[in-house]
Amino acid sequence: MRKYVVIYRSVLMENLQYTANIAMGFISYFIIIFVFINLWEYMYAAPGDLIAGYTKEQMIWYVMITEMIWFGARSSTIRQQVSADIRGGNIAYLVNKPYRYPLYILAKFTGEWNIQLPMYAVLTAVIGVMMVGVIPNFHPVTILAVVPCIILGVTIHAVFKICISMLSFWIEDSNPFQWLYDKLILVVGTIFPVEIFPTALQPVLKLTPIYTVCYGPAKLIVDFSVEKYVEILLAQALYLAVGCGIMFWIYERGGRKLYVNGG
Amino acid sequence: MLTAVKNQVRACVLSVKYNIMREMLNKVTFLTNILFMMLNNATFIIQWVILLRLRDDVGGYTMREVMLLWGLAASSFGLARILFARVFSLPDLIINGKLDSYLVQPKNVLLSVMTSETNTSAIGDLLYGLLLICIFCFRVERFLLFLLFTVTGAVILTAFALLMGSLSFWFVRAEILGNHMVGSIVSFDTYPDGIFKGVARFLLYNVLPVGMMIYHPVHIMMEFDAAKMLRVFGYLFVLSAVAVFVFYRGLRRYSSSSLMAARM
Repeated sequence: MRKYVVIYRSVLMENLQYTANIAMGFISYFIIIFVFINLWEYMYAAPGDLIAGYTKEQMIWYVMITEMIWFGARSSTIRQQVSADIRGGNIAYLVNKPYRYPLYILAKFTGEWNIQLPMYAVLTAVIGVMMVGVIPNFHPVTILAVVPCIILGVTIHAVFKICISMLSFWIEDSNPFQWLYDKLILVVGTIFPVEIFPTALQPVLKLTPIYTVCYGPAKLIVDFSVEKYVEILLAQALYLAVGCGIMFWIYERGGRKLYVNGG
Repeated sequence: MLTAVKNQVRACVLSVKYNIMREMLNKVTFLTNILFMMLNNATFIIQWVILLRLRDDVGGYTMREVMLLWGLAASSFGLARILFARVFSLPDLIINGKLDSYLVQPKNVLLSVMTSETNTSAIGDLLYGLLLICIFCFRVERFLLFLLFTVTGAVILTAFALLMGSLSFWFVRAEILGNHMVGSIVSFDTYPDGIFKGVARFLLYNVLPVGMMIYHPVHIMMEFDAAKMLRVFGYLFVLSAVAVFVFYRGLRRYSSSSLMAARM
């Protein structure tokens, strides 16, 4: 475990040097939030309207929080590095190291998002309060309760991204699969809460990563309830266990393929 | 003069052709990239089905207009990245001194740079745009206008990316700002202009090229307006001229990194 902590710490220290670069990403985040604020302002014809049980303020905050998680967890490590290591043959050197490659990537990724996400969180709070107003019935203690959900959500997201990147063991370019996963999360997960979809679709959506990665943390911040909290935490624990199982399975199977091809 | 132009055009066409042939070396990856990009774009239909279930129109756009908007945005973006993909990574060439191999060629530097890369997945974007207009709002005259505006949109997007990329000749971190500015076009151009008001609307029509690239053309395709069409062409020529001027002014400041490189 200690070696992963060392990797995590070194990446964290490295990323602290590049906070200005991370801050430049705020421009894209602000533009997207600006578009969604305009969109939902238009969709809510009259103040006080409810869409799928959400007020306008709750809906905009929901989108801002899901986008915050999305931007805060953006990383070339889980997307490009894994794929590039496999395609370029560098993986042959990395598998010999005294660590498990997927955990090494996860440790690196954690070091990255631990800087990015808090920065985006502060920006979200500032933009939200200035442009939308405070979340109705929000209690600051909610944040403390939701932090584990966010951590689990981001980790689940990383595990699935690593799984997709490791498809490069079999296919040359795993990017097309990344696009589809990203769009599933972005289009279905970040823009709309699950309740907005037809009732028949909602149980299906709860089985997808959307529920644990985006919906869970954002829903708890805009509309906290203890029952929902427990339900989401349990779903995340289950998802993480299954996701890690799949990740190690792909890695083991892919490793054998690597041996056959000679790296 | 005419022969020189013909030769230059031929060189550009050959450059793009060889880019695509290189990408086609692995046919499975090539086709997967195209098909998945089309699927990737199609996921946004879900978003609009849901939004248009909540209200009859969004910013004055029904499903037909939204699909036209999306189709034009995708095909313009696709065409720009098929023909001129390198413009979008111009800062990398400038900052790392990789322009040398283009400077020594007996052809136009800018056109050589612009056509030296093709993005495979962009073919999927272009096809997706054409498919959308054929499925959702096909009419012969509209289709012809669509093709015309795909070209003007691609040129406007390329010129804007060239302008932003050329700032790297003067400023080291300009590529970050430039990438965000070009990226912001993609964020705005797939949403109806009717949802934006005040300053935002002014910026979309006057600072960012979204209005001239997408919104005006969509309005023209729905209801022909010669004045708007002239405005689009005027904007295209002015923006292109400014972008080319800035690139060549910047090129005077370019310094090689003595990097050994060859164009294959």
